Amino acid sequence: MNILERFTESWRKYRKPGYYEEFDYHWAMTIDLDRCTGCEACVTACQAENNLPIVGEKEIAKGREVQWIRIERYWEGEYPDVKLRFIPMLCQHCDAAPCETVCPVSATYHNQDGLNTQIYNRCIGTRACAVYCPYEVRYFNFTDHHWDSPLEQQLNPDVTVREKGVMEKCTFCIQRIRQAKDHAKDDGRRRVRDGEVQPACVQSCPANALVFGDRKDPESQVAKSMNDPRAYRVLEELNTDPSVVYLKKVVAKDDHAS
Amino acid sequence: MQAETNNLRYADVNRDVVRSIVETGPRYYVALATAGSVTLLCFFFPWFYQLYFGIGAAGMNHPGVWGTYLASFIFWIGLSHSGTLLSCVLHLTNSSWRKAMYRSAEAMTLFSLLVAATFVFVHVGRPWFIHWSLPYPNQMELWPNFRSPLLFDVMAIATYLTGSSIFIYMGSIPDFAAVRDRTAGWRNTMYTLLSLGWRGTDKEWHRLHWAYTFLAVLIIPLAVSVHSIVSWDFAMSLVPALHQTIFAPYFVVGAIYSGTAGIVTVMFVLRKYMNFEQYITKVHFDNLGKLLLLLSLIWSYINAVELFTGWYSGTSTEYEALKFKMFGYYSWLYWEMILFCAAAPLLCIFKRFRTSFVPMLILSIAVNIGMYTERFLIVGTSLSRQYLPDAWGVYVPSLVELSIILGSFALFTTMFLVFVKIVPSVSIYEVKETMDTPTVTSNTEPLAPPEGSPA
Amino acid sequence: MTNIALGLFHEPRSALAAAGTLKGAGFATPELMSPIPIEGVEEVLGEKRSVIKRFTLFGGLIGGLSGFALAAGTAVLYVHPVGGRPIITIPPYLIITYELLIFFGILFTVLGFFISARLPAFRDRVYVPETAVDKFAVTVACDDEEHFRRAEAILQEAGAEQVREVAEEG
Repeated sequence: MNILERFTESWRKYRKPGYYEEFDYHWAMTIDLDRCTGCEACVTACQAENNLPIVGEKEIAKGREVQWIRIERYWEGEYPDVKLRFIPMLCQHCDAAPCETVCPVSATYHNQDGLNTQIYNRCIGTRACAVYCPYEVRYFNFTDHHWDSPLEQQLNPDVTVREKGVMEKCTFCIQRIRQAKDHAKDDGRRRVRDGEVQPACVQSCPANALVFGDRKDPESQVAKSMNDPRAYRVLEELNTDPSVVYLKKVVAKDDHAS
Repeated sequence: MQAETNNLRYADVNRDVVRSIVETGPRYYVALATAGSVTLLCFFFPWFYQLYFGIGAAGMNHPGVWGTYLASFIFWIGLSHSGTLLSCVLHLTNSSWRKAMYRSAEAMTLFSLLVAATFVFVHVGRPWFIHWSLPYPNQMELWPNFRSPLLFDVMAIATYLTGSSIFIYMGSIPDFAAVRDRTAGWRNTMYTLLSLGWRGTDKEWHRLHWAYTFLAVLIIPLAVSVHSIVSWDFAMSLVPALHQTIFAPYFVVGAIYSGTAGIVTVMFVLRKYMNFEQYITKVHFDNLGKLLLLLSLIWSYINAVELFTGWYSGTSTEYEALKFKMFGYYSWLYWEMILFCAAAPLLCIFKRFRTSFVPMLILSIAVNIGMYTERFLIVGTSLSRQYLPDAWGVYVPSLVELSIILGSFALFTTMFLVFVKIVPSVSIYEVKETMDTPTVTSNTEPLAPPEGSPA
Repeated sequence: MTNIALGLFHEPRSALAAAGTLKGAGFATPELMSPIPIEGVEEVLGEKRSVIKRFTLFGGLIGGLSGFALAAGTAVLYVHPVGGRPIITIPPYLIITYELLIFFGILFTVLGFFISARLPAFRDRVYVPETAVDKFAVTVACDDEEHFRRAEAILQEAGAEQVREVAEEG
């Protein structure tokens, strides 16, 4: 290939939006709001799996909670007809993520698996990504945290403990994905099978409301549930192209929620 | 202009300016010591505490992750805008009233930029790694992310800082030469080095004029771009109250506005405490007052447009953000801002107000308080009301933050106090250009003949 | 060692007239030293061309090119896909280009000023401190005593307060 061809091919490659011709895997999640009971087992599991800091009562009162997945609650109506609606909100791993472009030191990027990753050691803590995220799922470590003994023995050795001044957010349990990909490679270079890797929240949901998988695989459970007629994405009008699809809760016609 | 300085002679200008540099009384040392200690106690010590404890020492939370540090950063960058920008514009339009005050205004620019730069260090979570935002080759082969508005900021502010320092230095070279001749000892050495052997030949004046004009032509679009870029830190987000195209002009107008008010304050202080009553006169305050009025009207218009378009859009998020701004938790700050920045400057319609020194001082301080509030509201109220109502929250600044804000003013004052004793704070040669040329024989004290002449 | 005739005037018009007369009488181009720039120098002593604008232009071009090269080049060196955007995004890189254009433009303008004004001065040259206060000086190089007498006469006629003979190294 001569110089001109090489140049035009490079130019085309570097001008392609999103850069990737195709992802290796394209991890996605569906959350069935009909099944979700708001029990917050996913929140607890995430906290255990990913060494989330125990922020403490005083700091939480100031509003500094760190919950990579949170259950949002919306009250409707007046007593005694009060209804509660809730929706689990976690990092949507947007394919057109607004948070990735703004980091001045390139501490967050879109990897070849379609995940929005955060590189803790590169982060200098400008907190611009938290401002740019419309779902507000990015959390900052305002102080150093410590775990009272013996809680530090519960920490997951596969996950770092973040120091103060660093942003963090849901990673779709990338340590589990890595492990699954390693197993698949050792097993004879096959692809990761559907259901083989589950993030902590998906694994712990008692109602099976969360489904996780590779949406490139048309046979996977997640790809099928993304085509459900109830499917929608939060804040879709912002064109962030999220990878988390919610399935609307079905309610009786005369009732707002049951 | 000429009438004010008719009884001044060229020699008087030299004498007054050199005296302002060389003679220091106890009042100066007291002021310097106070400013220095307040800086240390209120800016640096709380910051070191924050370095130890984490950003948690400040009041920021989720979702209010940006707070007064960023608001202060924008405020100080805004304050820096009037000095150099105004000086350049007025130079290119050949206005004469700028001559006495532009040196101090440019110094204000430089020191505001330096204070703003320190706020970047204070604001960031891990400032010991802040050098990663600079493009330098390294072992990790990593480069900063040039698509980021924060990085445009880094480039723009670095350029503006360099440009302002060079601009103020170039304009001062002839003045350094004039002061060099009247000083001795370490001062003489310093000014000899700084003046680069300037002699005032016609060739040197010609070159200086062209270089200065080209610098002014380059710096004007630079200054406009710097604050536009700072505004894009906000405008490129998806936050409902921030994602607006009017932010770039809004910030630039706000910057020139608060910078002009800053110049009025600095001029008052210089005039009173450095014995420059004959150089900084009612004419200057009159013109600055007119400028302040104009900018205040433009600023009010932009605010009204923001309200109107927010209401007209009909989108719930935008409407909610505006409602929160005007009637929510911070509403008292909003109305205080309107009072100080939109209503109070209307007093400048009256010439009697514009030409009185103390009322203008009070107005300028009020305008700057209002503009600081505006920056705080931009950061605080918009982050409190974003798309998902469950994540709404309120942010209250902590004592550490308030102390650092106070300390930043002290830091600026300290730097400015050191400046007035090193660089002539009134431009000697430009003031002379506004005076009648001497028509009588010299009244200067006899100087020793220059070395090397057979006299 | 050339001898310099130096005449001190108390106002610019007579200094300018003296310089014009000297030039007309065949002397080397006189130099004027003054506390403020004098109007009308170019009519008397000839048009001055400033080479500074070439420096500014050159600096701006270099800056613009290096700005874009920095942004796009580093993006290509370490590919870092973000936000569904391409690797070489034009609008942000244009901003970096613009900032570096101004930056280098400023630096090269200053360099051009130093070079064309021959500053900083590394050797002693004729200087009269009064010209930094309120006097205007005209200096002209003289080959010998006779030249100096003629120059002195012209300067006195134009209204000089003092005329001195100064020696300059080199």
